[in-house]
Amino acid sequence: MRSGTAVAIAAAALAVTACATWLAPNDPPPAATPVEAAAAASARTAFPNAAKSLKFAVLGDFGTGEPMQYALARRMAAEHKVFPFEMVVLVGDNIYGADRPQDYANKFELPYKPLLDAGVKFYGSLGNHDAREQRFYKLFNMEGKQYYTFKAPQQDVRFIALESTYMEPEQLAWFEKTLAAASEEWVIVFQHHPIYSSGITHGSDERLRSVLEPLLMKYGVDLMLTGHDHIYERSKPQHDITHFVTGSGGKLRPGDVRPDQPFSAKVNDRTNVFLAVEILDDQLVFNAYATDGSVVDSGTITRVAKKAAATPALVGARE
Amino acid sequence: MDLLFSSVALCSALLIWGSPGLTFDRGDRPAAQDTPVNFDAKTMAEFTARMDEYAALNRKVAATLPKLSDSATPQEIDRHQRDLGARMAQARSGAKQGDLFTPSMQAVTRRLMERLFQNATSRRQLRDSLMDDNPSPSQVRVAVNARYPDAVPLSTMPPEVLKNLPPLPKEVEYRFVSDTLILLDGGAHLVADFVPRALPR
Repeated sequence: MRSGTAVAIAAAALAVTACATWLAPNDPPPAATPVEAAAAASARTAFPNAAKSLKFAVLGDFGTGEPMQYALARRMAAEHKVFPFEMVVLVGDNIYGADRPQDYANKFELPYKPLLDAGVKFYGSLGNHDAREQRFYKLFNMEGKQYYTFKAPQQDVRFIALESTYMEPEQLAWFEKTLAAASEEWVIVFQHHPIYSSGITHGSDERLRSVLEPLLMKYGVDLMLTGHDHIYERSKPQHDITHFVTGSGGKLRPGDVRPDQPFSAKVNDRTNVFLAVEILDDQLVFNAYATDGSVVDSGTITRVAKKAAATPALVGARE
Repeated sequence: MDLLFSSVALCSALLIWGSPGLTFDRGDRPAAQDTPVNFDAKTMAEFTARMDEYAALNRKVAATLPKLSDSATPQEIDRHQRDLGARMAQARSGAKQGDLFTPSMQAVTRRLMERLFQNATSRRQLRDSLMDDNPSPSQVRVAVNARYPDAVPLSTMPPEVLKNLPPLPKEVEYRFVSDTLILLDGGAHLVADFVPRALPR
């Protein structure tokens, strides 16, 4: 565990870097730190783009109505033309600030109009900036529920959406029941708050981790998708579960990253990012796209055969 | 000897009766040794009953409005929320702070939070978690029937905090505004009641 002093020094150093970036936007970027080096562009992994695969995107912390959001939305629409994802998983903070009807238009319907027009379905989850009534909004497909589950239209994949600002015992009981009943090969959980994040502003929600992670492990969850910190991050597998933070869909906090977090595999705090994913049988291919079309992270995740290898009791519980 | 014993016992009983550190139930009867627990349980049960009444009122008022569909438009959502807020405020026009969180329940709540912090592995981490995007009083006017502003984020409620407090009907949520615990009517966007200084210092 780092000492408080070391954290304060690291935070101050990052804050100075961030301020310098903001104050002198036309200057060349400061010398690369380990964090920035890790944020460098990656080689794109070719999507299989198979007819029978599940293709989806992940987006978080986007509903600002500001140019950053619109620019990334245009990138999503451009990528959709070559990688026709059929759905977008939203990890919360869907509508910042006021949520009058015109805000739904300016902060959601207009920027993503090309995707909506193409029949892409969005599946919402609620962030701490979201009015609870968003669950009734037809384009978020939450069916009036703050937490819910659905089976993907392709492949053997189950999605479970949680409401992470209000994790009351009733929701936890529902979550475990849902996990126990999930017989799909892939189980993906999405919510707003990350349980692994290098973000300085929020970081890992260890209190949520303490209640959720035992369930994720017990029932063989494969992937957790979150936001909240306005960065992109992929964790190294934690107990066979990869965690993504995709909280830079419309906001960005440059310099808001604690370096050398042991769980972190890749982090980007320099550009807005959305994640594109394809699942085909036991393989998951992902590319994290920046607004300019560059790929900031990429790779393949093979579904761990833990369901077969796990203890019989756990397999039984899951089936 | 018997007289001496009786005198000591009587004096002890009077001392216990008069002790400011002990609590009694509403009949002003001295209770058993575990009185504080029983008193808290009774207070919480009464609070739960009041919250059930609140939820029933909310459902009754909501029933006077067109039902919000599970696939509503933003216009329908906005209209429903504002209509429900206005009608709930009207239905509770005489409501004041302490109606739901009575003084006894406010005391119990503060005790519950204090115990939670005392037992927490890391008090600082628990406080940080509660303060994550927790709005300040200048952002939210904490008053009964005041609208919770659209532009202000909701505080995160850590799982152990929710587990520690009496469960609420689905119409109402606990949230924090700084160290004030509010009862938020989510559908109506109204503050139903609140406990000032709910967090231990």
